[in-house]
Amino acid sequence: MGPECQVMGLFTDEERAASAVQALEETPWQLKQVHSPIPSHKLSEALNLKKSKVGYFTLVGGIIGFFSGFALAMFTAAKWSLIVGGKPVIALVPFVIVGFEFTILFAVFGNVIGLLIQGGLPDFKGMEIYDPRCSGDHFGVLAACPEIEKGQLINYFKEKGGVTRVFES
Amino acid sequence: MSDLTYAKIDQTVLDTLRPATQVYWFTVALLAVGMLGGLACWIYQIFIGIGVGGQNNPVAWGTYLINFVFWVGIAHSGTLISAILHLFHAGWRNPIARAAETMTVFAVCTAGLFPFVHLGRAWMVYYMLPYPNQRTLWPNFQSPLMFDVVAISTYLTVSSLFWYTGLLPDLATVRDRSTGLRKKIFTILSMGWTGKMEQWRHYTRGYLFFAALATPLVISVHSVVSWDFALGVVPGWHTTIFAPYFVAGAIHSGLAMVLTLMIPLRKIFSYEKIITLEVLENVAKTIILTGLIVGFAYGTEFFIAWYSQNSIEIAIFKWRALGHYKVGFWIMVVCNTIIPLLLFIKKIRRSIIWLFVISIFINIGMWFERFVIIITSVARDFIPHAWGLYWPTVVEMGIMVGSFSLFFFLFVLFVKHMPSVSMTENKEMLAEGESHGA
Repeated sequence: MGPECQVMGLFTDEERAASAVQALEETPWQLKQVHSPIPSHKLSEALNLKKSKVGYFTLVGGIIGFFSGFALAMFTAAKWSLIVGGKPVIALVPFVIVGFEFTILFAVFGNVIGLLIQGGLPDFKGMEIYDPRCSGDHFGVLAACPEIEKGQLINYFKEKGGVTRVFES
Repeated sequence: MSDLTYAKIDQTVLDTLRPATQVYWFTVALLAVGMLGGLACWIYQIFIGIGVGGQNNPVAWGTYLINFVFWVGIAHSGTLISAILHLFHAGWRNPIARAAETMTVFAVCTAGLFPFVHLGRAWMVYYMLPYPNQRTLWPNFQSPLMFDVVAISTYLTVSSLFWYTGLLPDLATVRDRSTGLRKKIFTILSMGWTGKMEQWRHYTRGYLFFAALATPLVISVHSVVSWDFALGVVPGWHTTIFAPYFVAGAIHSGLAMVLTLMIPLRKIFSYEKIITLEVLENVAKTIILTGLIVGFAYGTEFFIAWYSQNSIEIAIFKWRALGHYKVGFWIMVVCNTIIPLLLFIKKIRRSIIWLFVISIFINIGMWFERFVIIITSVARDFIPHAWGLYWPTVVEMGIMVGSFSLFFFLFVLFVKHMPSVSMTENKEMLAEGESHGA
């Protein structure tokens, strides 16, 4: 196989982009990436994307948070062992409030970490093969093909209703 | 359906980031002066002592706590709009969600300053942090004040992260249409976001969890703020209605502030096609609901006082309505419950001027609500010989003006340098065929 090149088909219509993605499966060319200015349901379906696993990070964060908050409140109370306001030293009800706030805080930390890890952010290298129009009003479908088939791939995108941009590797 | 397109949405928002006019910088300078005035008052208080404020026995909590509760309350509707309405798929939230979230972040920052001011020796604030120390002193997490420290810090952290996450795709849009230094700054801020479907897959899920976590958080935060009062055995404070009453009041005041901010923003930045009249009307309808809840809570407080047949509780509520601070009480009742009823009239609900004026009245009313709650209860509690009145001093007023200036200063800077309307969410709404006000 000769040198490879990447062609991006840019569509202003979400449905055309989704149909280009689906039809690409029946070609010998390899779908590399799809860029969208919005979280497109049509493109998600065309790509058959699975549910993200960010939620597991959030859940783990939340569980760690609850026990950390509760443990912190218990620890500080045990350090003094004084009965305040008639409540027992280890007062469960008020400590649930601390545990709750920590649950949310750590769950959000988990969520952000999950988002960064799963989404591969920061990703400054990803901007090398990218068209700025994709953050505006264009949907970009990036496909790779052997250099000699470049013309065919360009025509394919044009037939689907898009304009193209070639990224030489 | 309007004639909006993706490109038009981008252009309208990006136009707001053009170099500012002299009027803009004059406004910024004016707010900076107000802010510095507040700072000067605070520095004066630090040098002379906390006594320069009007707080003294028996009223130890004055405008510093009033403003703290007021600003935390303002913050709440931002989360209501960005998180709760997101979970309910209310499309009309999209045009105003960004500005409301921004309002939340800046309002919590402003609120967070007041405990420092009230502390007197602000540099001792680290006493509230749980850390190993030579004196083996640890904070007592049974105290509602410590709940507050945890809740407000969590709220500031969560709302800032939520706000930044929501900004990411829009930061990339600005990056892709900028040059020079601005491009460099936005490249770093957008963390290399390229709108890959793989990124969106995790982003949408993460955003949903953010909304799901922020919703109970926002309810807990103002509940915790209310417990600063309700857990004290003080007549007028020691009541179980406080948590829902405070949460409803917080959203009521926040929605009014959304209108106060959005109406000029919409006019100045020509956002009329994005922030449509229907969007503002929906905010107004929500204000009717929160106003009714707040009115019901005012009534219930009196009912509880009467039903308990506790003579001190009855006396304090009579005094609230008819005593030294009756003007504040009636401003509260009229501004928060009577005036919002005007919004039942469609013509008023769809009039920009009326909406703006009513929102200002609610802002004033909600400030007085906190005044009435905080001051009246401690001014006259159980022992008549310990009764006393409180009035704010010039120093306190200066700090209060400073806090308003700080909030508007931050907001005005934000709207001119960052996308103040979410381009992504509005495009998404367009793609789903919802009108801007659905």
